[in-house]
Amino acid sequence: MWAYIVNLAVLISINAILAVTLNFILGYAGIFSIAHALFFGVGAYTATFVAMKLGADFLLSTAAGMAVGALISLALALPALRVRGEYFVAASLGLQMLAITVFTEWKSVTGGIGGLTNIPPARILGFEVTKPEHFLVLSLTCLVLIILIIRALVRSSFGRSLKAIRDDETAAWAYGKNVAIIKTTAVVLSSALCAVGGSLYAFYLSFINVESFTLDTSVQLMAMVIIGGTATLFGPVVGTILILLLPAGLSYLPYLPPTEIGSIQQIAYGLAMVLLMIYRPGGLWGFQEKPKAKEGGAP
Amino acid sequence: MSPAADSIGGEVLLQATDVAKTFGGLKAVDNVTFALRAGIITTLVGPNGAGKTTLFNLMTGHLVPDQGEVLWLGKSILRLPHWKIARLGIGRSFQDLKLFANMTVEENVETVTERGSWLWQPGGPSARTARKEKVEATLAATGLVDKRHDRAVDLAYAERKFLSLARILASGARLWLLDEPASGLDPGSYERFLSLLRKQVREGVTICIIEHNLDIVQGISDRIAFLDQGRLLAEGDPKTILSDPALAAIYFGERAA
Repeated sequence: MWAYIVNLAVLISINAILAVTLNFILGYAGIFSIAHALFFGVGAYTATFVAMKLGADFLLSTAAGMAVGALISLALALPALRVRGEYFVAASLGLQMLAITVFTEWKSVTGGIGGLTNIPPARILGFEVTKPEHFLVLSLTCLVLIILIIRALVRSSFGRSLKAIRDDETAAWAYGKNVAIIKTTAVVLSSALCAVGGSLYAFYLSFINVESFTLDTSVQLMAMVIIGGTATLFGPVVGTILILLLPAGLSYLPYLPPTEIGSIQQIAYGLAMVLLMIYRPGGLWGFQEKPKAKEGGAP
Repeated sequence: MSPAADSIGGEVLLQATDVAKTFGGLKAVDNVTFALRAGIITTLVGPNGAGKTTLFNLMTGHLVPDQGEVLWLGKSILRLPHWKIARLGIGRSFQDLKLFANMTVEENVETVTERGSWLWQPGGPSARTARKEKVEATLAATGLVDKRHDRAVDLAYAERKFLSLARILASGARLWLLDEPASGLDPGSYERFLSLLRKQVREGVTICIIEHNLDIVQGISDRIAFLDQGRLLAEGDPKTILSDPALAAIYFGERAA
């Protein structure tokens, strides 16, 4: 039971990294990317590649994953961000499909459909992280650091510029914001931080293949963010916990044949999304971060 | 245009020369030459569809004219991206306000005072203090102090109008292009609005307003430009323009054949 809980906690913290970094562009900048799993994959494959060629140094592998993630996102963001709103959704969908093909076909690096196995355990400052408990400490540390980075970003003038662009791009231009550069920077930062999740995932499972980085993952991440609460710091974490605990919770329900859990899960997600859109459009966590109580009464 | 009309106001801040813009088959702005002079309030009047907002868009870089030239203090701004034009000191408001709806009133104002877009702003602590003071002064001047923590989307109509003014005020723009800023204001708010504009003009701001209400136009303008069907039909002091029966006929829809 303990091992089960630790495993779930590690997976939650890794997925929370992905959700929190997606929320950075989705919630704060209004960039609806359904290619987030792509950068999860890029982080995982790059970290694995470095680990297998140069040794399993976690910091080095992760830094390489972040760098490659940042570069690829830069190359993608420059043309893709020229289009607005719903067109970007379509463009990112195309990128996600393209990435799956690359992950599947570039066998020398990704191992194709079979994936990469026997990824060595992560070493960090000479310490080999083999026990799941130790790994949990590592992944939670990464999550906390990333939340702190994003917190600093969204509370800065950069964060205000992002929100301004999200709320009205035309007005942001008209008030001197270089919208293109700000959006591109946001996507690059988000992708680089997302790659940390990929690196953790590869080292944790010591096996990766394309299945983890598909459109389904991107959509699930989006569900985590929206259910938890966009543009809130902890909403995506809450959403991640709920969505990952749902299948675990369902398996404890009597009368549910185990083979049907998958489809019931889908129904539950769909229902949750619809109900949220109607009753809590800000997400579950949304209400917590409403503007503080008004100071002074009405005039 | 009479030579007397030319003498109203100070130096030319923004000059559009022979600008034209066609949308499909429609000539929205048809070879307009138009100057905004420092220190006065110029009003753009004309029936709906006359090309007033398009002229604003051409002057602020939101649209690129098919032909003609736009000069700011004598230098061409035609090739500049519009965010750079904004930083020259040209601020504008929008007919549909375009507030940063999900940000608080304070954030709406704060973000326009921030020139850099990065984690930190240039200028260090003294610049930060100056920005803070600017935000406070702006909120006070527009009567939004009590609403500072409200989201823009939750404000009442008049408050939203004042927030749109607050944004332009805090941006430090030297030239304000206001697109129907007074429409729908009750008399009390309208008086506050007018006195705010007048105070700003005394402090050196230059304003150009698109306005439909001729009472407002008469009360506020130092100079009026009359547009119809994309052309600048007349320009001059309010008395001359408003008493011209031909222009009144166009404005009130009794278009002569």
